[in-house]
Amino acid sequence: MQNSAQPVKASRIALWKWAAIIILLYVFIAGWIVPLKPGIIEVSPNKALAGDKLVLAIKGYNTFFMKDPNEIRAWLRLTGDTVIKALHVEVVDDRHMRAAFYIPSVFPVKQDAYPLSLVIDHPADGSSVLPNAVFITPAGDPDSAEMSLWFRDKIDHIHRASGVRYPFRNILAETIRNTYFHVPMWFSMIILFGISAWYSLKYYRNGFIRYDTISTAFIKAGLVFGLLGLVTGMLWAKNTWNAYWSWDVKQNMSAIALLIYAALMVLRTSVEDDMQRARLSAGYNMIAFVLLIPLLFIIPRMTDSLHPGNGGNPAMGGEDLDNTMRMVFYPAVIGWILLGIWISQLVYRVDLLKRNQ
Amino acid sequence: MDRIWNLVATEARIELRERFALAGILLYVLSSSFIVFSIWKQLPAREWGLTFWVIFLFCALMAVLKTFGRESEGRYFYYYTLYHPLELFAAKVFYNAALLIFIFLSLWFILFVMAGGHMVRAWWFFATGMIASVGLSILLTLISSISIKTQQNASMTAILALPLMIPILINLLRLTSYALGTTPDQNPWNEVTLLGSIVSLITGMALWLFPYLWRS
Repeated sequence: MQNSAQPVKASRIALWKWAAIIILLYVFIAGWIVPLKPGIIEVSPNKALAGDKLVLAIKGYNTFFMKDPNEIRAWLRLTGDTVIKALHVEVVDDRHMRAAFYIPSVFPVKQDAYPLSLVIDHPADGSSVLPNAVFITPAGDPDSAEMSLWFRDKIDHIHRASGVRYPFRNILAETIRNTYFHVPMWFSMIILFGISAWYSLKYYRNGFIRYDTISTAFIKAGLVFGLLGLVTGMLWAKNTWNAYWSWDVKQNMSAIALLIYAALMVLRTSVEDDMQRARLSAGYNMIAFVLLIPLLFIIPRMTDSLHPGNGGNPAMGGEDLDNTMRMVFYPAVIGWILLGIWISQLVYRVDLLKRNQ
Repeated sequence: MDRIWNLVATEARIELRERFALAGILLYVLSSSFIVFSIWKQLPAREWGLTFWVIFLFCALMAVLKTFGRESEGRYFYYYTLYHPLELFAAKVFYNAALLIFIFLSLWFILFVMAGGHMVRAWWFFATGMIASVGLSILLTLISSISIKTQQNASMTAILALPLMIPILINLLRLTSYALGTTPDQNPWNEVTLLGSIVSLITGMALWLFPYLWRS
């Protein structure tokens, strides 16, 4: 026990905790301040008839159309090489422009409706794409002479946007920043639960009550991280899947994983004897961690899911995580894990003080 | 092995000495089926499968709940000197598995009478039931050995076991829908493999941890 007459020496903060603070400051600042690349939000109308002139009103995001307005080019693309170029382009302001097209009355493939993607190229903003921008209904009397219009133009001399910017993804838009918060939460949770299971194993081997206290502290911190992961995921789902909770298998499984650990905390409160409690919770903790693996990593992969990384969706690949994002994402993972360990350490110390009281 | 059978026989004798024990479980199965059926009025194939496993799950919880509470603490101390904890565990698991198979068959019979068969691949459903009985009996026996040491035994078993049962339950539902023919073009062996690996994972954990958890 601390003697109250003795002056309390201010403890020094360890180096890795400073690292956690600095990394997370960097993640918060860079994650929120770096702008997105330019993109197209919407066009109207989004339906048109073939064999007719079509004027598209295009709404851009983070774009600067007023800069070099004569250099802007626009295309509608059916498949790889079959494109039609805009007849002329008219800029309204930085965010709005109009492009006039002539849609040929015949198509190289036969379908009920033809989804066309809009491609825009700008010297400063680079190129941006809106998939399935316009749906074309076939014309009543196709004129086969217009077939050549599809092969006259090519998308060429594309510009690249310069500067440090996050990719603009349709649907995701600004929520792409959630990658630095939602994903590391789960990484941290798994790491914290793993450390907790490791200390349970140590308790199983040695029986020191200290290991039980450490293991519980890690579970408490891990639960908080899991809960935050669920909440950030729900907010993200509201913006991209249009519902906070859509009974997606990944959502269900992660909620169940949290239930298992919440049950462990209930178990701990219902046992009086210290040694008994430590032994039971060490056993249950190890069972829970082993069952966490099929819950979070195997079952979601076997069913259809909207979540990236499941049901055939790619996870963190391709254009979703480019090099600019990696420069923030990897530090974010390390920073959140360090913060989690730090919180667990504090929880452990508080528990120790309570026990000694 | 003989020693384990001795224990199983003792279990069964204790259980059957109280006449209402087995009949009580049967009554539980029957009345919950009645409640569900009077709410649904009829059960199409898909709902049949869902209803079946919901009732089975709660009956299984009910039946296995008192597996360690049946005998006095003194008797367990006596067992502890006579048997290895794993022998006791194996006996309990065998007995509970038999109990769950009994529940499975009687529930199947009751729902068959009340709501029709709906079965396209009855043998698959039978196999599913066998796997479910063995797997859940191992998991529930392990969990009730934990919860018997706590103050609120009954609710603790449900709280601890229900989330852990879900990975098994999901695969059971998929196999059932295959047996019912509600999802025809599906390879059931994937589910069997996954179910088998989850059950063997639980078995491994149980064999490793039960002697440790049982010591008190």
